[in-house]
Amino acid sequence: MSPTKSDNSVPISQLLEFYERMLLVREAENRLSKLFADGEVPGFIHLSVGQEAVCVGVTSALETRDTLASNHRGHGHALSKGVELNSFFLEVMGKEEGICGGRGGSMHVADMSVGMLGANGIVGAGIPLAVGSALAHQVQENGAIAVAFFGDGALAEGVLHESFNLAALWKLPILFVCENNGWSEFSPTGRQFNANVRELAGVFGIPSAFVDGDDVLAVNEAASELVTAIRAGEGPYVLECVTHRVRGHFEGDPQKYRAESEINSLPDHDPITKLETIISKRRIPKKEVVAIRGTIEARINAAVEAGRGGNAPDFSRAKADVYTAVEEV
Amino acid sequence: MSPVTNLTMPKLGLTMTEGTISEWVVSPGDSFKKNDVVLVVETEKIANEIEAPADGVLHDILVVAGETVAVGTPLANWDVGATAIPEVSAEIEEANATTHEPEKETAAATAFAEVRKNTASGAKSARIVATPLARRIALQNDIDLAGVIASGPKGRIKAEDVRAAIADDASRVTLSCGVAAASPDALPSRRAATSYEAAAARRLSEAKRDTPHFYLSTEADAGALFLLRQQLNSDNENLNISINHLIIAAVARALKENEIANCVWRDGEIVTYGTTDIGMAVSSDKGLFAPVLKDIDRLGIASIAKAARELAEKARTGQLTSDDLIGGSTTISNAGMFDVTYMGSIINPGQSSILGVGSIREIFRPDELGQPELRQEMGLVLSCDHRIFDGVSGLAFLNSIKANIEKPLRLLVS
Amino acid sequence: MADVRYAKAVNMALDDAMAADPAVVLFGEDIAEAGGPFGVTRGLLEKYGDRRVRDTPISEATIVGAAVGAAMSGLKPVVEIMFMDFVTIAMDAMVNQAAKARFMFGGQCSVPLVLRTPHGGGVNAGPQHSQCLEAWFAHIPGLKVVVPSNPSDANRLLKSAIMDPDPVVFVENKAMYSLKGEFDDASETIVIGTAHVARSGDDVTIVSYGAAVNTALQAAETLAPRDISVEVVDLRSIQPWDEATVLASLARTHRLIVLHEAVTAFGVGAEIVARMSDIGFDELDAPIKRVGAPFMPTPFAKSLENQYLPNAKDVIAAVEQVLA
Repeated sequence: MSPTKSDNSVPISQLLEFYERMLLVREAENRLSKLFADGEVPGFIHLSVGQEAVCVGVTSALETRDTLASNHRGHGHALSKGVELNSFFLEVMGKEEGICGGRGGSMHVADMSVGMLGANGIVGAGIPLAVGSALAHQVQENGAIAVAFFGDGALAEGVLHESFNLAALWKLPILFVCENNGWSEFSPTGRQFNANVRELAGVFGIPSAFVDGDDVLAVNEAASELVTAIRAGEGPYVLECVTHRVRGHFEGDPQKYRAESEINSLPDHDPITKLETIISKRRIPKKEVVAIRGTIEARINAAVEAGRGGNAPDFSRAKADVYTAVEEV
Repeated sequence: MSPVTNLTMPKLGLTMTEGTISEWVVSPGDSFKKNDVVLVVETEKIANEIEAPADGVLHDILVVAGETVAVGTPLANWDVGATAIPEVSAEIEEANATTHEPEKETAAATAFAEVRKNTASGAKSARIVATPLARRIALQNDIDLAGVIASGPKGRIKAEDVRAAIADDASRVTLSCGVAAASPDALPSRRAATSYEAAAARRLSEAKRDTPHFYLSTEADAGALFLLRQQLNSDNENLNISINHLIIAAVARALKENEIANCVWRDGEIVTYGTTDIGMAVSSDKGLFAPVLKDIDRLGIASIAKAARELAEKARTGQLTSDDLIGGSTTISNAGMFDVTYMGSIINPGQSSILGVGSIREIFRPDELGQPELRQEMGLVLSCDHRIFDGVSGLAFLNSIKANIEKPLRLLVS
Repeated sequence: MADVRYAKAVNMALDDAMAADPAVVLFGEDIAEAGGPFGVTRGLLEKYGDRRVRDTPISEATIVGAAVGAAMSGLKPVVEIMFMDFVTIAMDAMVNQAAKARFMFGGQCSVPLVLRTPHGGGVNAGPQHSQCLEAWFAHIPGLKVVVPSNPSDANRLLKSAIMDPDPVVFVENKAMYSLKGEFDDASETIVIGTAHVARSGDDVTIVSYGAAVNTALQAAETLAPRDISVEVVDLRSIQPWDEATVLASLARTHRLIVLHEAVTAFGVGAEIVARMSDIGFDELDAPIKRVGAPFMPTPFAKSLENQYLPNAKDVIAAVEQVLA
């Protein structure tokens, strides 16, 4: 574990902001879980419940101009990078007014206006996209950086290795964030990957940091340091965040492959509970926490209602978006 | 029990590509003995009785009578003790074994063709195969495709066939307009060409189109020929020699005298026949045939007469075999029994000349002293293939024929 | 108007595009220092510097994946895949990312990347360096596929491809790199999806693209003295392809042959034939024929490859069949 700042050094306002942002992701996903069970969210969804400290901790270190490529477990990445909540729900519920017009759904939420280059249905595929985005930042000298989020399940993908190599060769402004939740879909990563991500990065000469991914303060502190270094032109970094996946690989996965003891221990790792403990130690009036909870619930209720009120996507509009319309000369 | 095999459309002649089933003699489910006639297949100009190669049973008939199908198409399935013959010809197999490009007809395409035939089984008439463009043009011009002669592969009607039919129609309309323009009875009626008519039309069109014809005509004094015939027949009533038989002998002798006349053009090569074979036009209910008399220079006049009579009879009764129709460089078309002076004929495909023989006319000609002399003359028109003959060699052949007719005694000397 | 080699024509298009737009960047294996395996990118590193002209490691999947990310972030990357056979490794980036980004993100972005790659046999390069895989890409909604047949078209089409907001697979031909052709510097741009009637004729239409267009022209020339008048339509791009021009030609000649070097089965020709047998049904006066490679990998040995590649003789045989 890398050393973290003492909890007392973090301003109260920032603690509450982390809390609100993590709670937004958590409650949004809890609601999606219910909507999925009720048949209001079609397709399949992959929830990141339990991993909220990583996306919030990292994105809190970023600027809007920075870009982010995500993966299939990407609701947290999208919401914490700034995708608007209503258009997020509209999208995941498959509506015309969704951020992607109902074309992509849960696995393809993207918002170019906030640098969210998209969740991705292909394991590892977002990583080279982030590399390319970092290349664009470098060529354009715009001071932005790119972030690639991936799970430990992507470690065995060849494009990860290629991307580490290329980013290191070209000293690209990119932060590789590995959310190590120990599970590659239905298999323990120990059976999937015969190395670890920081050793792998080291082989390519990429420096790395390792944090408790359930501690949003630790994640944010490490990410902020790395982002500063990357923005200064030091080239790529890897940040490994050890975290815990509470839900199954996808909603509906009964997780028969996980030991009861492991599942029972999950609440001990809950990043939101951990932050609540810190907050309570800082003697923050409980009503502020309650107020945040109320705000989040109200926002999500509104977003769900917006989602329900959205229209079915128009087929001809969808079809017209396969290619860019070329104006007749 | 031997396995069920396909009885396929046999290849009965070198140039045969398709055949028409004129009759199934054996019914589905019936058994037959070796050499029993199972079905009758009509090809370009002949009807062929297809015999069973061994004892057996006929199962399903796949192609009904009246349909025309390509050589090798399964016609029925049957059990026969021996290997099923006739077999698909080597030529067909070879055609299918060409290089990979362009796309060859696949097994699927063949299977489809069979399905198509099967579907048509029991229907009154076969499906008309025409290209989409041909169909569109036919529809726009109110042409019944049933009356259009197909020139495309597998009997497919192409656009140009429909255009030809339109042109034909137009000429007919013009004619009828002159006769009885307003009468509904004068409207042209239509029917599908029989396979014989369609085949003859195709062959004659090809011959007229592909063979560069030129024509030479003369008159031959037939007096001596008449006299000879009279003498021969009066000597032996059973001989029953006709003028036509003597003309055959005259042409046979002329062929021996003019080697060029025994040549034909074939695929860019000049083929010279080693035997003297002569075709003779025979009219029958089913159309015109030109069976070929073989090795005629070896026969005396009596034998020629006998052979010619037998061949004509076979033609009239639809019993010609494909062998009867093969060979020869020339044909005699004698229209003397009708009232015609000169007849310019179309050369039969594969030959290099045809002699049109007109009616015998009585005519006054000046004799050596300039006095009128009554003669019996026949008009001769020799149609020549310019790829073989030139004017000189054509005339030489025609003059040999004329000389043999005018001095017929030489025909008795072999 | 001067003669220019195909490789040089591509190089000139890259040069022009880079000069015109600083967002255009090139990267690929050995394209910078070495000037490309076929010399196509020669001189561009020197002219535009190592920020914009980059050698990559041999990592096709990431080369193209990075091109997608770069294209979504403001660049117009032109990447090279050394042989079309190697695109197999980059298919996720092309098929799942580049092709779909615009659609699945609701039209928020386009992916203005060009993937240049040479296809084609004839140089004894063997089964893994000769394939014509363009049909794979043409099958993917969201991709465009351009296959020029001559230097002038290659130059103009590449400029159009780089300016195009959508991902374009630009298929070159290694056997054609040294081919010289007329080149008019001032000639107009070509709109992707516009075919060109390379030779007018009345009796039969041959639709083709890429190097095979020259095979079609050769066959047409051979048939001319036999009074067989062949029209040759050069598609220039196969996705989108110029249905209207092909249909118009078919409506004149009523007979159609599709020629390409790629294996016929499930190929580009199959699509053209299917469309024409639908929208052009009543124009047809003969079955439509396809001429292409047989269903087998491209063989190495000269004698085998010669038999494998469709040639003018095969085209002539097809013409004879449709005219029968």
